Amino acid sequence: MKKNKTIRILIIDDEAEFAQTLCTRLQLRDYKSQIAISGHDGLDLLEKESFDVVILDLRMPDIDGIETLTIIKNKYPHTEVIILTGHASFKTGQQGMQGGAFDYLMKPVDLNILLEKIHDAYSKSHLND
Amino acid sequence: MNSIFTRVFSPSSQEKDLKRNYHELYKVLIGTMLFLTLIPVLITAFFSYQNYKNLLQVSEKAQLQSRLEGSTRVLTAMMDNILSVIDLLATENTYHAIKTEEGIANISKLIKKEYRYITDIGVINNLGVQQAYSGDYPLLGESYFGDNWFSNVLAKGLYISPVYLGHRNTPHFTIAVATNDKKTKSSWILRATINASNLKALLATIKTDASEDIFLVDNNNILQTSSVFFGPTFSIYTPENINKIQNKSYILATAKVPHTPWTLVMVEKNYFAEENWNNFTKTLICIFASCFIGSTIIAVLLAQAIVRRIQKTDALQVQLLQEAEHTDRLVSMGRLAAGVGHEINNPLAIINQKNGLAEDLLLLSDDFTYKQDILTILQSINNNVDRCKAITHRLLGFARRGDNKVEPVDVNYVIQEVLSFLENAIMYKKIDIQLSLELQNAKIMCNQTQLQQVFLNIINNSIDAVNPHDCIKIFSHIQAKVIDITIQDNGIGMSSEHITHLFEPFFTTKETGKGTGLGLSITYGLVKKMEGDIKVESEVGHGTTITITFPLYNN
Repeated sequence: MKKNKTIRILIIDDEAEFAQTLCTRLQLRDYKSQIAISGHDGLDLLEKESFDVVILDLRMPDIDGIETLTIIKNKYPHTEVIILTGHASFKTGQQGMQGGAFDYLMKPVDLNILLEKIHDAYSKSHLND
Repeated sequence: MNSIFTRVFSPSSQEKDLKRNYHELYKVLIGTMLFLTLIPVLITAFFSYQNYKNLLQVSEKAQLQSRLEGSTRVLTAMMDNILSVIDLLATENTYHAIKTEEGIANISKLIKKEYRYITDIGVINNLGVQQAYSGDYPLLGESYFGDNWFSNVLAKGLYISPVYLGHRNTPHFTIAVATNDKKTKSSWILRATINASNLKALLATIKTDASEDIFLVDNNNILQTSSVFFGPTFSIYTPENINKIQNKSYILATAKVPHTPWTLVMVEKNYFAEENWNNFTKTLICIFASCFIGSTIIAVLLAQAIVRRIQKTDALQVQLLQEAEHTDRLVSMGRLAAGVGHEINNPLAIINQKNGLAEDLLLLSDDFTYKQDILTILQSINNNVDRCKAITHRLLGFARRGDNKVEPVDVNYVIQEVLSFLENAIMYKKIDIQLSLELQNAKIMCNQTQLQQVFLNIINNSIDAVNPHDCIKIFSHIQAKVIDITIQDNGIGMSSEHITHLFEPFFTTKETGKGTGLGLSITYGLVKKMEGDIKVESEVGHGTTITITFPLYNN
């Protein structure tokens, strides 16, 4: 689990309960995880700290996921974004992948699968290290 | 075989209304066509009838008139002849010579030889006393002084009288000539009489075959001879009687006979009674009847054809409308289902995470009495969340990254691939799969995974529907720019009620837990997305045939 500690994860999801629970579970597994319950909050946090992986919801009240993704990928190209949404569709899937997301997952997701993706994403973000 | 829609939608009250309207339309069409065709025929027939009637009437009248004129000429000539013969005899003989018994007998013989109609002949002096007489009546010495004819002949010299009874009390008329005796210078009269019966016989000789009746009337409309229609001599010939006769299919013509007090009347059967007219009316009726029958047949056939055509168009319209409604309903239900899926995903994710967290925390905690039981319960919750997840994910037709690539896909290859997936189930049920695929150019533009899903769902359903050892036929057929893929089983089949709901989400005939009711709903959505079409024909106990049509890929 030593490796887990180095992975910094930001969960951006307006479903606070979901975000909080997931965050706790990740922390239990020694990940450095934080939550933001809106796109703005998430971007603010990214300004202050750097994250390896962002788990991003699509439907959010202020700025939606696709827009947030675009901003993140522009500002922090090394931060990998995994889209995790309950409102999955081909269209948003396509937009997400074209926007540079690492992967696109649908809620509810098995934590082990998510962790696998997080590790893959982390590996990708540190490919050049 | 009917398409799914014709089987699904039973005749509604609207269709019954339509049927009644068709019947009315049919009647109106026949009525209008008959009216339009028969009215001109009727008008033509009416005018032909009237014209021909008038023509015949005019021609009949003209013919009768000409015959009458001929008869009148004959009668006039006869009377003129008798008158001139009597005049000649009176002039050529002296009063004294003629008034002897021998003289009168000679003249009588002479005159009767030529004119056998003459009844008697007599000589009358200027006082009106008959001096000599040759005839059948005892009229010698009879005085005519004061009689109408006597004064008339003295005044005019030549005179033909109307028919009267006279001293002999028999209808007759007088032809008399008054002459002056050269010696005594006093007038005397030579008179011949003709009985009305003889006059009738005379008329009979000038009667034509066409004449029904011929008779004479005097200036006072008194019959001079007997008439078939107007009665015996001296009957009155009235205009009312004429009308009565003329209405009863006879025509009548009259002509004045010159130098006599008579008018000749001729009655003939008119055209109504004649063959010509009968033939004409028969022909007219035949023409009208055949026109009527012909028009009726044509009207009925045309109306039938028109109504059938309209019915067909209407049926097509109704079918298209119903198809559109059905498609629309499926699309809305699909959207609704997707919406529900989306909405459920979020709470489901929370349950999932909370459950996971609880598990995590339990695993971190020390052992306590129910720890294992609670872990089992949490695992069970997890399993059920997974079940829900399976449903929502299928509902959304979610395909993973990389799976949404659209490319030309070989339909036959996908079918073979799907069959290999299902190999175990097919082997287990010992199902006979009969493949008849068109191998050339069977490519369509689509996402391969989705096409797999389409065939997987349908073939899987067929496998579920058939009994062991049954047969499933899969054949494809290329025509124009489309490919039809037909999956036919001889399984349990479906009622039309089931067919109606077949593509609706969550509709399943399978036991609870064995099917989500999403397979065919998703299939339908996918086929529509690939610009294809799907049709179902099924009969309970006889199996189901599903035909999917896709536009072919054209490179």
